[in-house]
Amino acid sequence: MRDYEKYIRYRTFPTPWCPGCGDGVILKAIAMAFSDLKLEPDDIVVVAGIGCSGRTPTFFNTNTLHVTHGRALTFATGIKLARPEKMVVVISGDGDALAIGGNHLIHAARRNIGLNMILINNGIYGMTGGQVSPLTPQKFVTETTPYGNIEPKFMASELLIAARASFVARETVVRFHPLRQVIKKSFQHKGFSVVEVISNCHINLGRRNKMKDPISMTRWIESRSIAKAQYEKLAPEEQNHKYPVGILKEDKERLEYSELYYKHIVPTAQKQDRENKGAK
Amino acid sequence: MSKREVLQGNIIAAKAAVAAGCNFFAGYPITPSSEIAQYMSLELPRLGHDFIQMEDEIASLGACIGASLAGKKVLTATSGPGFSLMQEQLGMAVMAEIPLVIINVMRGGPSTGLPTKPAQSDMMQARWGTHGDHPIIVLYPAFAREIYCETIRAFNLSEQFWNPVIVLLDEVIAKAHEDISIPDQKDISIYTSKETEVEDLNIYDRAIGENPPRVDFFKGYPIHIDGLEHDKHGWPTTDPDTVDRMQTLRMQKIYHYLDEIITYKEYYMDDAEIMIFSFGVSARSALAAVKIAREQGIKLGLFQAKTVWPFPKIVLRERFKRIKKVLTVELNMGQMKYEIERVAPDDVEKKALLRANGIPFTPLEIIAAVKEFKYERL
Amino acid sequence: MEKFERKANEEALARREKKKPSPKKNDITLVVEYCKGCGLCVDICPTGTLQLKDNIESKFGVSVNVDAPGYCIGCKMCEQRCPDFAIFVNYEDEEKNEK
Repeated sequence: MRDYEKYIRYRTFPTPWCPGCGDGVILKAIAMAFSDLKLEPDDIVVVAGIGCSGRTPTFFNTNTLHVTHGRALTFATGIKLARPEKMVVVISGDGDALAIGGNHLIHAARRNIGLNMILINNGIYGMTGGQVSPLTPQKFVTETTPYGNIEPKFMASELLIAARASFVARETVVRFHPLRQVIKKSFQHKGFSVVEVISNCHINLGRRNKMKDPISMTRWIESRSIAKAQYEKLAPEEQNHKYPVGILKEDKERLEYSELYYKHIVPTAQKQDRENKGAK
Repeated sequence: MSKREVLQGNIIAAKAAVAAGCNFFAGYPITPSSEIAQYMSLELPRLGHDFIQMEDEIASLGACIGASLAGKKVLTATSGPGFSLMQEQLGMAVMAEIPLVIINVMRGGPSTGLPTKPAQSDMMQARWGTHGDHPIIVLYPAFAREIYCETIRAFNLSEQFWNPVIVLLDEVIAKAHEDISIPDQKDISIYTSKETEVEDLNIYDRAIGENPPRVDFFKGYPIHIDGLEHDKHGWPTTDPDTVDRMQTLRMQKIYHYLDEIITYKEYYMDDAEIMIFSFGVSARSALAAVKIAREQGIKLGLFQAKTVWPFPKIVLRERFKRIKKVLTVELNMGQMKYEIERVAPDDVEKKALLRANGIPFTPLEIIAAVKEFKYERL
Repeated sequence: MEKFERKANEEALARREKKKPSPKKNDITLVVEYCKGCGLCVDICPTGTLQLKDNIESKFGVSVNVDAPGYCIGCKMCEQRCPDFAIFVNYEDEEKNEK
């Protein structure tokens, strides 16, 4: 028995993901992070939206919540504000985080609400059959870009840094040990943390773009990951094809939203209330 | 001894929510309901409770549902355009059997419509706005004291039946400042759903007509709450028998208790020959019309629906055994009149007084319609 | 068996030829009901211990096999890489927290 298996809900196995899908690896890394931090399963809630990534909570043996498309961060905000001492993990895919959910993403980042987000970036809308997503690289063929994608992709981590997120990291499913470490670190961060995980959807994205098995897509992801210091030395045209990995931003000083609420708003309101009543 | 105050309808609703135990509000401002959010932003922090203004209505209801699952009593307030946005999230709350209260202050529609004018055009949307088969309870007070009592009842019903409850108001009664004696807290009865022992993570299966044996998060059970159709553990399934059972359970938990849920008020109905069916601001004009008509010798009566959904079909069918003329007065182009047409037998003469131009009906207009009994737009 | 699965098998065998059997014995536990035959463990094993085999009982017709148990060095990279919790190395050992 492994320590991390106590966070796994084996009763709902086997998982519905395609053979070789990175989602299962991320599930394992998160469970290992919970185990490393010795958290109580009941003190954790995992929230996800719609998509292949959205099926992840079903397999955690913690409190789990599967909600509407793109809105996982909003439900998680309500839970965190109601019970700030609990650990709230949000798992989102391409569309859930950056298309329909894009607005909630930047507001959660701006607010610095203490949610720990795992953004699974597989460059496609897998669940619905392989349509283009805001994270699909240019020129790739998908179900809704049969002539090649002309839209440039978001660089999700960089977008979040601009939205004032206080912890942003990027890793891939290929490098398991760094992935596990960075997820653990992000869980220890008090404010809003995001780990963008580059994952492989070989069935939908890879298959239409000459990488139809998990192993060749693994090689492709490996070739595109690069350390941040080296990334900065590249020319812009070359940067377009690479993902800088590692912890990209860490701000430990910023106060988390519910902490700020209970430290500032409630005492101020109560003080004013006492003053008003005293003045009567 | 409760004291008399002059309060705006929105504030009455907000105070009632706080009295009912509401300890979480997430909302987005929209005319004519913003005062509720503003009041909550002042009052909830004073009590150590949670208030947050979210980035849109969808986020507001999402945060409310999350907080409800974390054990809070939640409220949000909006109007037409925001209510339309909330429909998907509302469906999720019905599917996963989550208590919450939404106040929809109706204004002229559709779309941006008439933000500062009243309407009663969301009656059908309140029932059917979200997709799929779903039960819902919709309350619609008309007078100041009713706003207070029905809002508290909304919280109690949502806790009792593990279902969202919608409180409809309209721009007139929400914005009007009226005098009201707020009841003492000790005279108000609050219902909070009881803690249950969950066996084998069964949070949904029970006898038909009963409530789910569900607990919230963080009660020691690793439960799964899902918007997908699910089995008794909450885990997703498509098995036809399971799905059928879950649909039936969700409907029947409400339809077994119509006597408890449905409320209405009747004025001058004992010997009435013509009945007015109305609600909200229109019912207030209708009440004045009934009083004037009675002085003129017309045997007019008013049936004011305070619960609009589930529709008070059984009691109305009783009335239609004796009363054979009914006038539906609603500030829209015809919505609840179709329910009256469905429920009243063929020998009842049915008419409707309708308009949606932002001007409420006056008592004299209603009497003119009763006398002519020819006024109908559609 | 698909072309990429055969290729993974061949490459694993090629890696094994360059290695020697491991001095320490390591146990590999397979959970065949969860294995989907994706081949990632075969690909990542540094000593080529694992091979994919046709298996009519597996959901996807293919599942992992411990072809050369003596070559396993207990690095656990297969266990980390597996998305399906289908393979464990030295399962009876308590997991030591990795730094």
